[in-house]
Amino acid sequence: MPDWKLSARAPLDGHERNIGTVAVAEVTDLALVSAAVPRGGDEAFAAALAGGFGATRPVTGDSTLGNRHAARVLGMQPDQVFILFAPPDPDRPAGTVAAALASAAYVTDQSDSWVILRMTGAGVRTALERICPLDLDDRVFPLHRVARTAMEHLSVIVLRDGADSFLLMSPRSSARSFRHAVELSLEHVSE
Amino acid sequence: MIIDHPLLGPRDAAEFVYLGDACLIDRPDPGDENAARLFHDYLHIRDNPAGEHRELWFHEHGDRSWLVVTRNTLTHEIVRVELARDVALARGRDR
Repeated sequence: MPDWKLSARAPLDGHERNIGTVAVAEVTDLALVSAAVPRGGDEAFAAALAGGFGATRPVTGDSTLGNRHAARVLGMQPDQVFILFAPPDPDRPAGTVAAALASAAYVTDQSDSWVILRMTGAGVRTALERICPLDLDDRVFPLHRVARTAMEHLSVIVLRDGADSFLLMSPRSSARSFRHAVELSLEHVSE
Repeated sequence: MIIDHPLLGPRDAAEFVYLGDACLIDRPDPGDENAARLFHDYLHIRDNPAGEHRELWFHEHGDRSWLVVTRNTLTHEIVRVELARDVALARGRDR
């Protein structure tokens, strides 16, 4: 046995910061796995999703909650969902999904490719409206709504998981730039 | 400019990438006896209308769908947005 071991490191080392009325916190305990539906496999996929995660398949732009692994299924595009969940084995999240879906989808582990920030607080929409091109009004972007967009030229998935709470996912490689963009916007509206 | 996505609603044009004329959907059959001429036309011959123009847009910062957008080149008014998949299926393609 080697006398060293590798340990996982979060993209922003578990960053947390409060700015004005908004709390920004990196989410490090969730795995993200994409599942692409084979052509003609819609029924099998729906059955596998119900059996494996206790979730229904969301339409594109919406998300559903499952009753296993604290799963949330994000409808990303017509033939693809992302599954955000608490992995029983953090080193093998795709294995969990593949086993749960029993070959009804093409599964890719995306966990370590993304940074996830949760923004909560009364001023969160005011801060996001500066950099987010989506309309986040309650009537347009209600609870559980999800969308991919771009902020400051960075690709971002926006998920509303509370009245004043949003999950923002962006590529890990630009995690620090993304944090800077989000926090600068917050600083500008909280002065 | 705002593109009213058929699945997602109005989205900013910055989320999209433009490809070109929607006639690119109708790729010629390489086995056709006139394939050389058909591919020449497919690659190089375009109408340049002053008015309604059908064009392909890709929702890169979105749901990654291809759209057929009918846009007025004089006013930039967007009069119709369809999923390219639906357009292709309606034209007899198998996907």
